[in-house]
Parts: sequence; structure tokens; C-alpha cells
Amino acid sequence: MSRNLLRLFALLLLGSLAISRPLVAEEVESDSHVKMLAMAARIDALIQQRLDTENVQAAPLASDGEFIRRAYLDLVGNIPTVAQTRAYLEDNAPDKRQRLIAQLLKSPAHPTHLANTWRTLILEPTDDPLQLRNEAGMQRWLRGKFAQNLRYDRLVEEFLTATQGNNGPGYFYAAQQLKPELLAGETSRIFLGLQLECAQCHDHPFDRWKQHDFWGLAAFFAQLERPGDDNVGLARFDIVDRNQGEVTLPESEEIVPPAFPGSTANYASLGGTRRQQLAIWVVSRDNPFMPRRAVNWAWAHMMGRGIVHPADDMSPQNAPSHPELLDELTEYFIHSGFDLRLLLETIAITDTYARSSQAVADSEAPAKLFARMAVKSLTPEQLYDAMLKVGLLKGPDEALQNDGNRNQFVARMRTAGKDRTQFDTGMPQALAVMNGPPVSTATSPETSELLKALSAPFLSDQQRLNVLFLAAYSREPNQAELDRYTQFLSQVEPQQRPQALGDILWVLSNSAEFMLNH
Amino acid sequence: MNAFDISRRRFLQTSAGLLGAASCAWLPQLAAAAGSDPQRKRSCILLWMAGGPTQTDTFDMKPGHANGGEFKETETNVPGLRFSEHFAGLAKQADQLAILRGMSTKEGDHLRGTYLMHTGQRPGGPLNYPAIGASLSKAMANGESTLPNYVAVNPSTLLNSSALGPGFLGPRYAAATVGARGNAAANDPNAMADLGVDFLSLPPGLDQKRHEARLALWKEQQSQFLASHPAQAVEAQATIFQSAVKMMHPEAASAFDLSKESTEIRESYGKGTFGQGCLIARRLVERGVPFVEVTLGGNQIGWDTHTGNFPTVERLSKELDQGWSTLMRELAERDLLETTTICWMGEFGRTPTINGTAGRDHFPDAWTCVLAGGGIAGGQAHGQTNESGMEVTDGKTEVQDLLATLCKAVGVDPKTEHYSPQARPIKISEGTPIQQILG
Repeated sequence: MSRNLLRLFALLLLGSLAISRPLVAEEVESDSHVKMLAMAARIDALIQQRLDTENVQAAPLASDGEFIRRAYLDLVGNIPTVAQTRAYLEDNAPDKRQRLIAQLLKSPAHPTHLANTWRTLILEPTDDPLQLRNEAGMQRWLRGKFAQNLRYDRLVEEFLTATQGNNGPGYFYAAQQLKPELLAGETSRIFLGLQLECAQCHDHPFDRWKQHDFWGLAAFFAQLERPGDDNVGLARFDIVDRNQGEVTLPESEEIVPPAFPGSTANYASLGGTRRQQLAIWVVSRDNPFMPRRAVNWAWAHMMGRGIVHPADDMSPQNAPSHPELLDELTEYFIHSGFDLRLLLETIAITDTYARSSQAVADSEAPAKLFARMAVKSLTPEQLYDAMLKVGLLKGPDEALQNDGNRNQFVARMRTAGKDRTQFDTGMPQALAVMNGPPVSTATSPETSELLKALSAPFLSDQQRLNVLFLAAYSREPNQAELDRYTQFLSQVEPQQRPQALGDILWVLSNSAEFMLNH
Repeated sequence: MNAFDISRRRFLQTSAGLLGAASCAWLPQLAAAAGSDPQRKRSCILLWMAGGPTQTDTFDMKPGHANGGEFKETETNVPGLRFSEHFAGLAKQADQLAILRGMSTKEGDHLRGTYLMHTGQRPGGPLNYPAIGASLSKAMANGESTLPNYVAVNPSTLLNSSALGPGFLGPRYAAATVGARGNAAANDPNAMADLGVDFLSLPPGLDQKRHEARLALWKEQQSQFLASHPAQAVEAQATIFQSAVKMMHPEAASAFDLSKESTEIRESYGKGTFGQGCLIARRLVERGVPFVEVTLGGNQIGWDTHTGNFPTVERLSKELDQGWSTLMRELAERDLLETTTICWMGEFGRTPTINGTAGRDHFPDAWTCVLAGGGIAGGQAHGQTNESGMEVTDGKTEVQDLLATLCKAVGVDPKTEHYSPQARPIKISEGTPIQQILG
């Protein structure tokens, strides 16, 4: 047996030996750490209070396997390896959840995953591989910002005033064709949680927004152009702010001057270009929308559903399920210096986040009570990367987003829906998952490194099944599963064994338990 | 009642039929009986002419005028209704055709025109609209079905696929795509095109027996998780994957398997991807699939004849005529033509004037679409252009009206509403159906 194979064994079976010891939590009982623990406890108290009022029983805490898989998917975008899972399952320290979360947030995969998530939030889904390539520059830019944990208000400001194209948010502006009305609609949805676009054509039917609010916001984007506009097709997405250009109400000559929605602040008293004026207002301390939207995003990212639902439509008719919680978390976020990473960590260490997604009660509690963890769809990127990991297939560098196969898979699987508690995949995509790569390569004995490692003669069937289940589900098989698959394997000729293990891995890879985050 | 019972019951509600119907022995009988079933829903076949077909050399000819070009008109089985000499097969079925000579639209770019004609909307707005195939198939679907409701044959992969996609309806309403496999047709113009569904067949090295063993284990694995984790996403995953499994069943998959047809039949449609695509469309309509789109011109956007218009249009016209006329004849023989509406269109028309390189350029101002078959009063031309073909003088038709007419013809109210992500109700078409051509 090759040395590589031996090393693989060590990794698969001896887990805790093979991985680095979990980082010892820095026992700096800093002010912010104390505040974080207090805020986490407060979250749990407020959620519990509401459950008590509604007379609903909360689900018990998730098993260790369920928790580590969920935390990995939510914070670093991929499932854990067999070794990482084993190490976590064997760890008996009472603070192991907190230490896992802190460790994941320090991983270089964390900013990559956040950048993926935000790119999806910012750009319409596309199934065009060329557009996915164009998005790479914005992806890199976002990753850089998240990697240095730039203050969130600074990130928003830089986004709203960006001029660089290919290494910045330029493609967002290009995708909106530099049109003031599209830019106004999208930026207010993304950063303010306001859906103003209905007010584009008429006064908003359910909200206080008037047509003038919409076009007043659009006016801040009325003075943009791309330098040398003749190179549009050349994938250069730089932007220049001019000092001319206005918007008019549709089918009228009336020019609408810039105005901040819901505010009487005078834009002209703020210096700079129109976009700089807008950015100053958006990130100002008394802007009521921006930090609430960020908090609601973070909550929805972790819990599958915002405190206001849908997470990007925080209009009055969508009342928050826990108004007090939203207010207090927003205060906390502002006081932390708009620290997005700390916000995610605070939510991730709560018991609320650690609840099981299994059904417990007789009747189903409404999702907005957060009595149990939501079941979330994986993003196409998560799904692809998880499939590579389960077969121990070589993938591209995690920071590199230009793998052709991955782009093709992501393009095919991208969905229009933004609610991740829905599974929007269609039948053509399901066929591609079942019969195409990477599942076909991950489950074939010729290409799957996992199956090659499992072919070693000294392993028992039970050991093999343990590894398969840990790889796919981050848990060991239960008795019924052990019986079922042992029986299946016992009917197979010895030379068909690797293939039969591949069949089991195929079954697990196409199952809801694998394809969903729970 | 405990949680298991609840989830189990819900599981059965969503997937019972799917899991139960391991055998699809009823499919061939269904196909045979399709025409005689009074409850039978209707179908729609969109013949998409990628590149923008010239109206002046096909259905709105200008003989005697300088713009007229090289082709002659032919008489048809409808007195007074004439079109290109290269449509010999269609000329015998002109009584099925309603020719709309007054099309007038506002997009002259391939991507934008493709989007406009598929969705009824100009591109660039805040919403990503569904293609007519997605919204109509959603409205026409026969409840639970083994086969997809929307199938696209030979779709162009160069054109932005958002123009052909499900838009805000979501991927569940996306077309299942059928395309050329291998390079037989590309290398040898006389070889029979080999068409199939992506990822429908088992990966190499996996036989049916092993596949079934996998599925048996998979079903147990699924039902265990469904019981412990009842949630929308879990149920949707189980349902969609089970539908895909059903479609892979040999009897369902055989709908796409053209080797089940005799060489004689296959050749009668024409050996190219378009003719073979029309044959797949017939097989799918026989099995109740509501919407099939078959593209002619594909990635080469073949109808985009800026240079050397005439030899190209002659070749494409003959390919079109053979596939289309055989399709209508075979549907009629099965009593299916009266419930199947056919729509012929491209992204725009072409200039009546001939340019310096014997070509015709993009021209959305005055051009032609054709509706045929079920729900259509055939044997007529609706609307007309002036002598030069440059202007519509009567029966001006916009894309919304065309789509509304198509909806009516297939028995769907064009005002049927679907909901955008902002929960705004959006009608399939805001246009007015053209009563004169509805049968």
C-alpha cells in the first residue's frame, strides 16, 4: 500500500491524531468577549420568552454531528472532513461549541464563503458561465474585505462609491447597466432592506414610499458613466462620476432632485459626488435602515429566516417576529463598531442556533418562533464543494473561483429564490446531480480517493460504513442503517466490494440529509 | 398523534404517487389512447428560428418587387394563399396555417429579441420574466407527470439562456433540454442526428440492476429523514429527485429514444437535428407533454443571413418544411393536431431590401409569425405589409397580442397570474387575443 494511502487512513480513522489540536481559546476575558456572551444569553432569553408566551416547547440541542456539519456549512461553506468530525465528537470540553465557532471564523474559508454568499445576494442568479466569470472580480473584492473583517459601514461606503471595475464592485454597476432606477432599487434592497422598486411606476400600494422617494434615491446614481464607453464588450467595468445627469419621473419632464428616502436631510450640504453624498447618509449613525438590515441578514444567514421575513424586505407590513431582539442586536452591532464577524459569532454561540432541526412537538410551531433549527438548501457552491469533499476529490484552490467544472455546475444549479428554507432545484438539475459529475466521480472506485482508502483489507464493514456516514452526514450510522447496509454488502462478491461501497456513497450523496443543511 | 405520524402522512401526500409508481407500464397505452381522450389537455410546440428568419423569402413574399429576391411563390391547398416554393410539404397543409404578416416589434438585437419574443417583455427591467414555455407549461400541466412539462430541443447555448428560462417562476419550471449527442451529424451531413436528454441515462459502467439496488436503499434513506425532519425543503428535495428517478425509468426515458422509431419514419422528418427534434416533439405530445420548443438554426444562429441569404434560406426552408409538415401530418393521423398548437417564430424578421452582399439584415418593424393546428382558424393570412414589405399596413401585431392569442389557442386564459418574488401578480400576457385567427 502506498504511503499516501496510509496517510489517508490515519486521516480517516485516527482522526484526532491527524488533525491539529483545536485552538486553545485565548482566555482574554476582554470587554467585547464578555459583552458577546451577555448578548448571546440575551438572545436565548428573548427567544425563550416568546416560546413560553406561545406555549411552545423548544427542540433539544442538536447532536454534535448535526451541529458541526451545520456550523461548517454556515461559516466556512463546506462540510467537515471525517477527521474534523471525529475530533469534535471525541472532544469532551464543555466549551467545545464556542471553540469550534471561533476556530471556523478564523479560517480562510470563512471570508471566501461570505463572499460567495454576498455575491449571490448582490447579483441576480445567472446560469451563464461567462457572467459567472465576470463576477469573479467582485467576489475577490468582497473576500478581501471580509478577510480583514473591515467595519461593515466602511464596506457599504466603499461599495456605494466604488470606481474600480474588475477588482471591485464594478460588475454590479455594469449588471444594472448603470441605470439609476435599477441601481436605486437594488442598493436599497441589499443595504437598506427596502423594496422601493414598486414605487418606480406608482406610489407604493402597501408602504409609505411614494414615486418621488424612489426617483429621489435614483437621482444619486444619475451621474455615472463608464470611461470610454466604447469598450463595453471588453469586460472592463470601471465607473466614473460626472457632474451632470438627472432623472425624470416616467412619462414626464419633471426632474427629481436627489433625496434620502424617509429623511429631510439635505444632500447638497454633504460634499463630494452624488454617490459619496448617498454613502454619507447610508452609513451615518442615525440611519435607521442600514444596521438593522445587516443584523437581519446575519440572523437569516444563520437561522434560515430573518427576524423580519423576507430578510431583504423590511417594510412595515413585514413586522419583526421579535422586535425587541432586533432592536437590541442592532444596538449591539453599532456599538461593536459594525463588526460583522463578531455578530455572526454571537449568533452562532447561542443555544438557539444549536437547536436540533428534528421535529419534536405534536404540532408544528411556526418557523418564526425559532423553536427548532430551519432546514436550509445548500448553495450550488456548497453542494459542489461538499461532493468533492465526500469523495476526497481534488478541487481547485479555495480562494480561486475559476474552476471551469465548478462554474458549470454552479451555473446549472443556481436558483432564483432567495429563501433558503425552500428547495428550488428542478428535475433537470436533479438528473445532473444523480448521473453527472461530481457525484459520479466521487462515488466511482476508480476516481474516489475515499473509496480507494476504504478498499484496505483489514477494515471491517462496520468501520467502512462508519467512515462513509461520517464523510457524508458527519455522524455514525444508526443500528437500522448498519443492519441494512451490512446486509447489502454481504450479498456482494468480494471483487465487487469497492463498487458496492460506491453505491452506498451514491445513496448518501443523493439523499436529503446530505443535500440540505439541517 | 406523534411527530412520526404527522410527517409520515405529509410525506405520503407529497410523494405517495411518485414512490408507488415504480412501473410505468401504462405509458404506451396512454400514448395510444391520447387522441381519443375527451379530457385530454392541449399541447403547444414552438418552432424557434434562431437568427431571425426572413419573411420576404418565406411567408410574405413580394414577387415582382426589387425586394422580392430569388425565390418563387407556390400555390397551396388554400386558393389565394401563397408562400415560398421551398415549402412543398406545408403547401399541402396550408389550411392549417394562420400567417401573421403584421408582426411589429421593438428589438433588433439577437439577445434582446430572443428575450422579447419568449417573454413578451423587453429585457432590462427589474424582473426576470419566464419564457412562454415555462409559464404556459405551468398553466397547462397535467398534475403529476413522469415526463417534464417543458422540453427544449436543440436550444442555442450561445444565446443568453435567461431568455429561455423560467425567470421568476424558479428552476422547477425550467425546460428539460434535449440536444445532439456525439458529432455524427456535425461531421457527416447525411448521418442521422442523435438527440437525447442530458444526464437521463445511467453513467457508463452502471447497469440497470445496480441502479435499482441503489434506488431501493435510497428510498429507505429518504423516508427515514423525511420522518424525522419534516420541512418544506426536505419534502421538495424528495419530490424532485423522485420525479427525476421516474423520468429515468426506461419506459419514460424511451419517450426521448428515437431508436424506437423505424428508419423510414425518422427519415421522413429529415435527418438533421431539427427534423429529429420534431419527431421527439411528436413522441412527447403523444405522452401528454404540454410544451415543446424545437430550435432550427441553433448555435450558428442559422437564419442570420447578412450575407449570401438565398442558398442558406433555401437549405433551411427545406429542412423546416420536411420536419414541420411531417410533424403536422403525423399529429393529424393520431387525432392530436386539433389539440396541439404550433407557433413558428424567431427573434425578428429581416430587411426586405437586399444588401450589398446578397444578404438581409435585422428588421423588427414588419415581419411574420405563423400559428397552426389546434385552436387556430387555418388557411388565412392575417395582416399585411405594403408592396416593398417595409411597413405594416393592416393587422399590426405586437408580441403581447401574439402570446395572448397562443394562450387562447391552447385553452389558457392569458390573464392567468403567476407571482413574482415580490408577490406581485403578473399575467402571462397583457395583450389582446386576435379573434379572427382563433378557431
